[in-house]
Amino acid sequence: MSRHPAPDELLLDYAAGALPPGPALAVALHVALDPPARRLVERLEAIGGLLMEGEADLPPDEAALQAALARLDATPVEPRPAPPRPPAGFDWAPPPLLRHLEAGARWRRVMGGFEEIRLRLAGDSSNRVSLLRLEPGRGLPVHRHVGTEYTVVLQGGYTDATGNYRVGDFAVGPGPEQHEPIADPGPPCIALIVLEQPVVLTGPWGRWLNPLVKRDLI
Amino acid sequence: MLTPDEAADLIEAIAARQDRAAFAELFRYYAPRVKAFLMRGGSDAETAQEVAQETLIMLWRKAQSFDRRRASAATWIYAIARNKRIDVARRAGRPAIETGDWLAVFAAEEVDADKSVLAGQTYSRVKELLGGLSADQLEVIKKAFFEDKTHTAIAEELGLPLGTVKSRIRLALARLRDALEKES
Repeated sequence: MSRHPAPDELLLDYAAGALPPGPALAVALHVALDPPARRLVERLEAIGGLLMEGEADLPPDEAALQAALARLDATPVEPRPAPPRPPAGFDWAPPPLLRHLEAGARWRRVMGGFEEIRLRLAGDSSNRVSLLRLEPGRGLPVHRHVGTEYTVVLQGGYTDATGNYRVGDFAVGPGPEQHEPIADPGPPCIALIVLEQPVVLTGPWGRWLNPLVKRDLI
Repeated sequence: MLTPDEAADLIEAIAARQDRAAFAELFRYYAPRVKAFLMRGGSDAETAQEVAQETLIMLWRKAQSFDRRRASAATWIYAIARNKRIDVARRAGRPAIETGDWLAVFAAEEVDADKSVLAGQTYSRVKELLGGLSADQLEVIKKAFFEDKTHTAIAEELGLPLGTVKSRIRLALARLRDALEKES
């Protein structure tokens, strides 16, 4: 079992399909890397199936069935897909990430000594979703933010005041105190970070404060 | 009534020989259930109908990806319907998760297949387990699945502190986890 599992309530939100795309991707990656979490989500999905199956036995809608049958000729039964292969340089990427890696995705050096690939998830404007890569011994600058932050480690590991995090581990922040994560020795630490964008402030002050909030300056 | 084995046989018949009669039987049984399930969660009849239709078409397309050792037919159809509902909601401008992540997770993982118990057994165990939850715990779990609400939204709606909702979820999932450990 992962030493830092995703909290139960987040697994339930995920299995029920209630999470926005960014946090859902973070949980999907954790679930892909952590067999006990996967088995738990499978059980939760079985509960979903059971609740659905428990619905009353309504009379079938024959017109809808005929409409569906009429579509089948043009709808082939697809062969079981081969497991998706990560592109060169992304061997560490679990399957749920692959669809989000655009062709030619490259690491971009960011001020502060780390590299980033920004992911654009359709339908999610409320979360900033990034892959970060940190060389061993490097730290992320101490940062504070207003919203919730989800982290899942995909390669290597990092250590902060709350513990040591390795592949598959999941963290929800911000924690009680500010902390500076430092990448462990070994291969560079790669993690997916999902950051809830701060709530946009409204009113006369908001106009002045929003640009600062957006740049993480306050 | 379709038993889990009968439903799995029908999906495999589609996979093996594009069996339209098998499809019709699955459609008659599951399409009304998907529709009713969504309407209970607040979907209008038209949306629920569309999701049910698209779910069964997806079942046809992906029948060869179904693996009865990994999921029962009801579980599999639930997951497809959940993802279709999200697709439809996204068209309406709501944030949503990617359809297909779920399939990718299942398709990729064969390593611990020996550890996973047969889906038919899972099904009856989960049923037993649901019966053992307290009314409070069951309320939160049902709300999550029927209304696709996050635990935060559920706490707000029930007028409960977030911590209370979290502890109900954790107690319920602890039972699931215990059952899993006993099996492996």
